[in-house]
Parts: sequence; C-alpha cells; structure tokens
Amino acid sequence: MLRFILRRLASGVVLIVVISTIAFGLLYVGGGDIARRILGQTATAETVAQKTEQLGLNRPLYEQFVDWVSHAVVGDFGTSWFTGQEVIQAISSRVAVTLSLVIGATLISAIVAVLLGVWAARRRGWPDRLVQVISVLGFAIPGFLIALGLVIVFAINLGWFKPTGFVQFATSPSGWLSSITLPVIALAIGGIAGVTQQIRGSVIDALRQDYVRTLRSRGLSANRVIYKHVLRNAGGPALAVLAVQFVGLLGGAVIVEQVFAIPGLGQVAVSATNQGDIPLVMGLVVVTAIIVVVVNLVIDILQGFLNPKVRLS
Amino acid sequence: MHPKETTMFRWKRLAAVAAVVALGLTGCSASSGGSEDAGGTLTLGQIVQPTTFAAAQSNWANESPYMQAVYDTLLTADPEGELQPGLATKWEYNDDKTQLTLTLRDDVKFTDGTALDAEAVAQNLVRFRDGAGPNASYLVDMTDAVATDATTVTITLKAANPALLTYLSQNAGLVEAPSAFESSDIQTVPVGSGPYTLDTAATVIGTSYVFNKNPDYWNAENQHYDKIVMNVYGDPTALLNAVKGGQVNAANTLNNNDVAQMEASGFTANPLELNWAGLTLMDRDGTVDPALANVKVRQAINYAFDKDAMLKTVESGFGTPTTQVFPERSAAYDKSLDSAYDYDPAKAKELLAEAGYADGVTIQMPSTPLLGSATFTLIQQQLADVGITVEYGEPGNNFIADVLTPKYPVVYIPLQQGGDWELIQFLISPTATFNPYHTTDDTVNGYIATVQNGTQEEADKAAADLNKYLVDNAWFAPWYRPQSTYVTDANTSVVMQPGNAVPYLWNITPKA
Repeated sequence: MLRFILRRLASGVVLIVVISTIAFGLLYVGGGDIARRILGQTATAETVAQKTEQLGLNRPLYEQFVDWVSHAVVGDFGTSWFTGQEVIQAISSRVAVTLSLVIGATLISAIVAVLLGVWAARRRGWPDRLVQVISVLGFAIPGFLIALGLVIVFAINLGWFKPTGFVQFATSPSGWLSSITLPVIALAIGGIAGVTQQIRGSVIDALRQDYVRTLRSRGLSANRVIYKHVLRNAGGPALAVLAVQFVGLLGGAVIVEQVFAIPGLGQVAVSATNQGDIPLVMGLVVVTAIIVVVVNLVIDILQGFLNPKVRLS
Repeated sequence: MHPKETTMFRWKRLAAVAAVVALGLTGCSASSGGSEDAGGTLTLGQIVQPTTFAAAQSNWANESPYMQAVYDTLLTADPEGELQPGLATKWEYNDDKTQLTLTLRDDVKFTDGTALDAEAVAQNLVRFRDGAGPNASYLVDMTDAVATDATTVTITLKAANPALLTYLSQNAGLVEAPSAFESSDIQTVPVGSGPYTLDTAATVIGTSYVFNKNPDYWNAENQHYDKIVMNVYGDPTALLNAVKGGQVNAANTLNNNDVAQMEASGFTANPLELNWAGLTLMDRDGTVDPALANVKVRQAINYAFDKDAMLKTVESGFGTPTTQVFPERSAAYDKSLDSAYDYDPAKAKELLAEAGYADGVTIQMPSTPLLGSATFTLIQQQLADVGITVEYGEPGNNFIADVLTPKYPVVYIPLQQGGDWELIQFLISPTATFNPYHTTDDTVNGYIATVQNGTQEEADKAAADLNKYLVDNAWFAPWYRPQSTYVTDANTSVVMQPGNAVPYLWNITPKA
C-alpha cells in the first residue's frame, strides 16, 4: 500500500510541474502589457516602463520562470500585483472557505444521492422515473441559475439567509452555517444528479448478483443487505464519480462564489485572471493542482479499502 | 427506559437541535445587515478592491474611500470642487507659480504615535513622484519638495502646473507615516493619520475591509461612524442582491441596468457624469490613415453617429448626448457644443465627397469584448451607413498598449473627464497619454500655454476657446457622457463629489 501511495505521489508531483510550466507560459504569452494593465489608462509611458522594470518583466521569459520556480519550491509564490498581499497568505485565507463549500456540497451530494439512488433501485416504477427526471433536471439547470433562484427566494423574499457574504466559523458557527447553506445547496444539486444515477445503476447491478440472493436466503434484512453489502460493492464506481464531482465543484465554486460574494479561491481566481495578476494565478494553479492530486489519492486509497483487488493492481 | 420514551426523547432532541439551528440562522441574518446599524456602522458596497494601501503607489477615484479612511490629504475639496484646508492650512504660490509653499497643522499624529511634520510630508511627495504609481505623472513637474521648518514645505516645479493643488487634494497629497516606508506590509497595512484605522484582523483582503474610528483623530467632525465596512462586489448580480438584502448602506454601481430594481428596494439613486464615450480620432496628421488628416472626414465621422440612439442602446438612456470632451463643471464647457454635430448622415456623406472620399473610407480600429461587443457592432453599422468601413483588430490583453503604441488611427474607449489641466495633459497636449501620434497644433499649443500660465480669467477663456477649437476641428467624436449612479439607503445621506467616481468619505453621513 505504501508503494502504491508513493507511486501516486510521484506522479502527482510530475503533474504539478507540467501544469505549472504550461500555465506560466500561457499567462506570459497571452498576458499582454502587464504593467499597463496594473497602472491603467492614465499612466504615462514612462511610468509604465518604470513599472515593467520594477516587476522584472523586461527580463527574458526563461529567466522569469527560473526565478519563479526557485522561489515556489520553497513556498514563496511572491506578492499579488494588484493587492500587495503575499500570494500564499491570499490563498491560505481562502482555501478553507472554498473547501468548506466543496466538501459540504460533496457530502450532501453523497448522502442524498445514496438515499435517492437506493430508493430508485429498490422500488423501481414511479420512484425510479421520478429520480431519473430529478437527475436530468439537476444536470440541465446551470449552477448559477440555481444559485440566483435560491438567493431570490430564500434570502431576498423570505429573508432566511444573507444574500451575500461569508462568516468565519470561528466568528460565529451559526453565522457560518447560514452563510454557506445556500451556496452549498447550489453547488450540491448538480453533484446529486450525477452520483444518484451512478448509485442507482450500480445498486441495480449488484442486486442481480448471486451473493445478494445468498444473503437474503440466510435471512438478512433487506436494509442490511443493501447498506452493508450491496452499497460496498456499488461504492467503487460511485466514489470515482464523486472524485470527479469534487474537482468539478472546485470549478463550479467560481460561479457560486461570485454570485454570493464569498471570499473563496473561485472569486479570487476570476479577479486575478481578469486583471492579469500572474503571481496570484500561478499560486492558484499550483494549489488547485495539489488539491486535485490529494483528492485523487484519497479516493484511490478509499477504493483500495472498499475493493482489495484495486490495491493489488 | 420504555422504547416509546426513547423514541420520544430522540424526537425531542432532534426538535431542540433544529430549533437551535433555526434560531442561529435567523439571529445571524438579522444582526449582520448593514442598514439597521447605520449611525454606528456604515457598510459600503465598493466595485473595486484597493490595489495598494501604500500612499506612493496609490490610486484614487473608486479607491478613494479606502485611502480617505486611513490617510489625510494635504488639501481637500468641497462638493463644489473648491479647495479647502487639509493637513495644510495655508498654501501660496510665488509669482510665476513654480514654487508652492504649504503651511501644515502642528497637532496631527500618525496612528503609530509619531507627529506629522514637514519632513514626513516632503518625503511622501518625493516618494509619490518616484513611486511608479498610476498617477505618478501628477508630480512629474516637481523638481523637489523640501521641509523648510517643522510646519512648512516648499515644492519647486519645472513649470507651472494648474492642477497641482487639485492633485494635492487627491492621492498625490496623501501622507503616510515614515515608519511604514520600510515595512514589508506597506501595501496592506496602512499607517496614516486618517479618521479610521484598518482592522487587519477583521479584513479579508480583496473582499471586505473593516475600519475602526481613530480615537485620536484631529478632526472629529469628519468621523460620522464608529466603524466602516467596505465590501467589494465585482459581480453586478452579487451587488444587486446585497442592495436588495439590505447588506449595504451605500454603493457605487457597476452599470445602470439594475438601478430601477435598487430604487424599488428603497435606495436613492445619486447620479454623476464622470466620463465621455465616443471615438478618439488620434491620427489627425494622417500618419497611418491619410484620410483622417482631412478635417472634413473627421467631421463626417461626428455627423455619422445617432448619439441619442447610441445612448439609449448602450447605456439604457442614462447620460447626456454631447460632442465635447470637457465636462459640464469646467470653465471650458459650452452647452451649445453638446449638439454641434447632430446626427446627419446626408451631411456626413456630403463632407466625405467634398474631402475626395465619395467612394468611402476604410479605418482600422481595435475592439475588445471588455467594452461591450454590441457597441463595436453599432459603430460599424453607423459608420457604414455613411460610407465608412471599419475593420477591427483584436489586440486582446494588449488593447490599451496597442492604442497608445500607437497601432490604430481611431479608438473607441470611454475616457475620464478630469479638471481642465488634467484633461489637457491626458487627451490634448502634444505629450498627452491619449495623443499617441503627438498631434501638435500652434493654436492648440497657444491655448494650452495660456491655461498653464495665464490668470484664472485668461485661463478660463483659453480653455473655452480650446474646447470650441477641438470641436470645430473634430479632434474627437464624442457621443455622450454616461451616467454613473451611486445608491444610498433610507438611513444614509450623501453629497456627490464632482469629478470623482464616489463621494468623499466624510460626505457620507447618517440621515438625521
């Protein structure tokens, strides 16, 4: 198992290096006149030239890249060109916000999807058709529309939640819960649609297996068969879908954080990319890549726990 | 325990948890709104984050509230635009206006406990000039700033700068404590002498900035709130939702599309005109497009635009049609010039024919989705109607850089309407940023020289003559002055500041 984890970690490191290199090249090639973008239209040509030199943008690209890498490997991602904040500080203060949304949405997706998927697979008939319709709707309706609808109904009309903003858990646990409820629901709906279909299909397949009949013939209750044995077998494919959903939710958080004005990675990614804040964008690229690698590693380990054959392969 | 009792106990426990959560949610929702706290806390909706808190690289306009919260300026401006004392109580020029002497207050302390003196002010002025900030050019004429005694600063200039005093009431006049100069946190932790201090623990950089009242502030009259929160809304929908949900007391708006909904939520719309929108006909010497050297071609472009229709389509009717670049508050402004080139496609075609371009003209322009694709389509259509073909280039992120290089003869970009001298330096003088072909004209230069060196009366007349000359010679093809809208809730009063994107902080007050 240890070798398996080490191998995965090594390939993760290679992935992060490749992604960073490509991102750096793309940002600088398509970045345009960065100093002009920082200073705006009123700055004179002389000031723009002075700023360019100050930022070291007049140096050859490879030199800038080597400089960035030599600092990045020791955790120094530089300073944001647009806020003056250290990149690592800007990201660390926002990672927890985004992760609380994405983990919350993933957990809700998993729980609701298991309940709906099992219900549809066991009952078939109209519950199955209803779940299928709900899944298709969840897929079809864009996340930002769901977010807007939730804000209008539950925040503006009913006044149950704040329409925008985020409260830190340490400041007020109830305020934190209030501030993430609507964004998490908005994010979770798409996830529920995907995972429910996967669970439903896997459970239907598993229920047809011989071992299920054997378990039933031994007198085990239907719930015990489903939740202890069938779901364990159906869990593998569902976990794979959840992993993809988790990564997808990081992207979905971009829109949701904008609509709810939540200070997460998505919000800062949009503003940093629009502005051309290269140090911050590069920091975000690396951190997101690390999150994706770690999530995939955790899922692989969980898969191994659920199915020993995975560990052997 | 009886099984039924166990079940009941579980349900009761569940109900209690649900009630606590519900109370928590409701309680939070009610206490975190901005409006109910008015008087104690002011919550502002900002459309940009501060790029820096370092005074030497500071920005102004939409960023001015951040700066005015933590810093003082040497001078201030009242809502009529008249200069008033700030840290400087007296200011005096020598005869040829190349030396300015400022007399400072002697009772001001920075929040680090040190006293504000002339040496600190002189250092700030030099740092602003040399700091490569967006407005460093404001002090480009300054040869030096010297503390002649503890409360006197003398600024020497290469040449008279009619806008210098105004600049000293804006970011060029911000004074930061010298202790911050070498600080590694200078961009995020301001040390000033302003009415508030930044609460760095409660601030989330880029999202929410919290300021607490400075108890030792020398001018308590300007402290209307105990606490000010500035929340950043980069997305129009989020801003609209924050307004509708009562999460802000006052906010600048990202566009005029949502103003009606904000008014319906009980907010008051406070309009202001800051920019002009239209074409800058940069290549007046015909360097890359010889047709533009002909004034009749430039006038034809002016006649080709249905300005009312453009305003209605692009800005939903919020704004005023115009054909001049000087703002209404300027001495150069002439109302009759707002309709100097009323929409007349027949006249445009006639002028093109007279100029020898009866078969039409082709002009190159840059386009960018950031300024709205629909506007570029309208430009193409309106000019095509009179026989002018527009071919767009796509410079991407290099839009402004390519315009100023210069690569294009004509550009559409809304530009700011500052004070007269600022506008001349930005748009008109041979070295102006938006005169990239360095068009020079003896008549224009003569007017500029009078604005720079004449008496106030002479300068005002020269500015008015310059304005008329530019309109007659079609240096630009303006369409309208778009309206910006600042909204305030029922508990908040505001007095707009002419020429600034948002009101000055001390002009936002609790409604009596």
